[in-house]
Amino acid sequence: MENIEKQLRETVKKLLKEKKVDLVIGYSKGTLPLHSTPVFITHEKDVDNLIFDATCGNNLAKYLGKSRKPKTKNRKPIGIIVKGCDGRSIVQHIVENQIKREEIIIIGVPCDGVIDTRKLEEKVGRKEVLKYQVEGEKIIVEGKDFKNSLKKKEILSDSCLMCKYPNPPVYDIFVGEPVPVNENRKPNTDNLESLSPDKRWEYFEKEISKCIRCYACRNACPLCYCEECFVDQSGPQWFGKSPDLSDTMIFHIVRTLHTAGRCVSCGACTRACPTGVNLAPLGIRMEKEIKDRFGYTAGLDTEATPPMADWNENDKQEFIM
Amino acid sequence: MDIFKIEKSKLKQFLDDLSKKYSVFVPAKQDRVTSFKEITLNSQLSTLNSYNTDKPPKDIFFPQTETLFTYDENSQLSTLNSQLSKPIAIFGVRPCDAKSFTLLDKVFDSEKYTDTYWKERYKDALVFALGCNNPLSTCFCNWVGGGPFNKEGADISLIDIGEAFLAEPCSKKGEEVIHKLSLQKATEDDLKKGNQLKNEAESMLSKPVEISSLKEDLDALWNSPKWEEIARKCLNCAACTYLCPTCHCFDIQDEGKSSKGKRIRIWDSCMFKLFTQEAAGTNPRPTGKERMRQRIMHKFNYLVETIGEFGCVGCGRCIISCPVNLDVREVIKEIKKVRN
Repeated sequence: MENIEKQLRETVKKLLKEKKVDLVIGYSKGTLPLHSTPVFITHEKDVDNLIFDATCGNNLAKYLGKSRKPKTKNRKPIGIIVKGCDGRSIVQHIVENQIKREEIIIIGVPCDGVIDTRKLEEKVGRKEVLKYQVEGEKIIVEGKDFKNSLKKKEILSDSCLMCKYPNPPVYDIFVGEPVPVNENRKPNTDNLESLSPDKRWEYFEKEISKCIRCYACRNACPLCYCEECFVDQSGPQWFGKSPDLSDTMIFHIVRTLHTAGRCVSCGACTRACPTGVNLAPLGIRMEKEIKDRFGYTAGLDTEATPPMADWNENDKQEFIM
Repeated sequence: MDIFKIEKSKLKQFLDDLSKKYSVFVPAKQDRVTSFKEITLNSQLSTLNSYNTDKPPKDIFFPQTETLFTYDENSQLSTLNSQLSKPIAIFGVRPCDAKSFTLLDKVFDSEKYTDTYWKERYKDALVFALGCNNPLSTCFCNWVGGGPFNKEGADISLIDIGEAFLAEPCSKKGEEVIHKLSLQKATEDDLKKGNQLKNEAESMLSKPVEISSLKEDLDALWNSPKWEEIARKCLNCAACTYLCPTCHCFDIQDEGKSSKGKRIRIWDSCMFKLFTQEAAGTNPRPTGKERMRQRIMHKFNYLVETIGEFGCVGCGRCIISCPVNLDVREVIKEIKKVRN
């Protein structure tokens, strides 16, 4: 990965130097171990802050939404560093007319998956990890009085373990070698689907009851760019605002429906949640549904028509009595 | 003042005894999340050994949702009786959180305003604050006048010395209570051990950044473009404010129909656009920049003016919970840099 960072920095430096962009959105080292933080690079001198590794879990496409999109001088394109899922989210932004292809320069990077710190906590217990080191497929984490060697895949985000698109489908520059695609992977929620509806509901009730309505999931979601979220409608108000289970459940269900055919299962929502609500299965299941029903996979083709904005006479209609 | 000892082997018994007179809250883990929960017969006390809870204890006194009154067209308006059956005792709250209670109390129970809901719960509460033998790298209580063994806000201060907790009363209430509990006195050796742990813990914290002039630094920064830079990566979620032990902004909502319903008070967050959305459609804090400024100003400027203290206890929850790792310590450093 060190090599990638070197190449990445050189690439970005060149773009800035040649004035092809005057802003690049990427990742830099976070203040906590196993955390990165989004960074907005405007000067060549700051390029060396850029990193890319398994801690880069934020979906940077978030920063391209209309209300957030940084205004650059001279209307130059924005450079953005993207993994497979960020790249797919950008494709969705283009498909949904949120951004024009020519407004961005996509710097693709290969992704082996990103770390879910909650999973890490489950592995090492409630101990503070102060240092980490990646050694091939292993990750060595160290704290005050412990050192653990973990398999990387044990602590990768669930979404990453099912990801079939580790490389961005669309890019202007690709840095490093593409990650080989594992064709056997697919959106999978079999564990939950094998449960009876009652048990499944119980599972979701348990998960959703942890929700504190901070909206970190929504706000970290690259596709949640609505100027006014349905849950924020105040004149009149559509939903109760307290963490009452029924209101909270409706919020998460409607959000899932609103991202149907758009969600790329990047898992940013789950990783953002401060109370560890596992939201990913909702998006993953929806992605599967859209694939089965419409043969569509979000975020692959900038020319595609999203299935929820289209009608086709061959669409399945067995649900009509 | 005498220092006593609570043997860990007798802790369960001790808390059971305590729960005869108090509703006792302890740190508990449920579905991966740690928070303070009322003790039950099956309560596990293992979370006491761990570091601070994911959720702050503020909701014990200031719940996320609180019904202020209910109404029904067929009957009178009924104000809920907020009187508690038993006073609240919190066992194992960390010194930063114990201090947060004193800050919130200054807000909710001042000469000018009294919030009866808060007061009813807090006035008779008994706080057992447990010193932190192992502060985390995100702890910065020492920046804001705290420390891993501080006693501010505690009625009884505890130190975990292995087999037992040292228990030192540090308020009149604590003094009265502790003498009624038949506890052994701590030995010289115990005290020595306690002191050693305290010194070790203090040395584990990183050197504090000097922030005594932060209020003045912020006074000069109101119109600075720096806010835009600071707020740039912020997603404007409320993880930081909802998990903050001192954030206390709230909203009032009516739930129900015109014939029947309730008025509730719920936590609000300055990070939300709706926080200051006005009925006429204008919003004085329309973008992330103004909202970030509000959060930092409220904590490090406005509260210094109104209650004479920073509205931050350095627990580090906002740092741990931020989805984009926006670290308030870095924000403080940036602010200081602007003026220096």
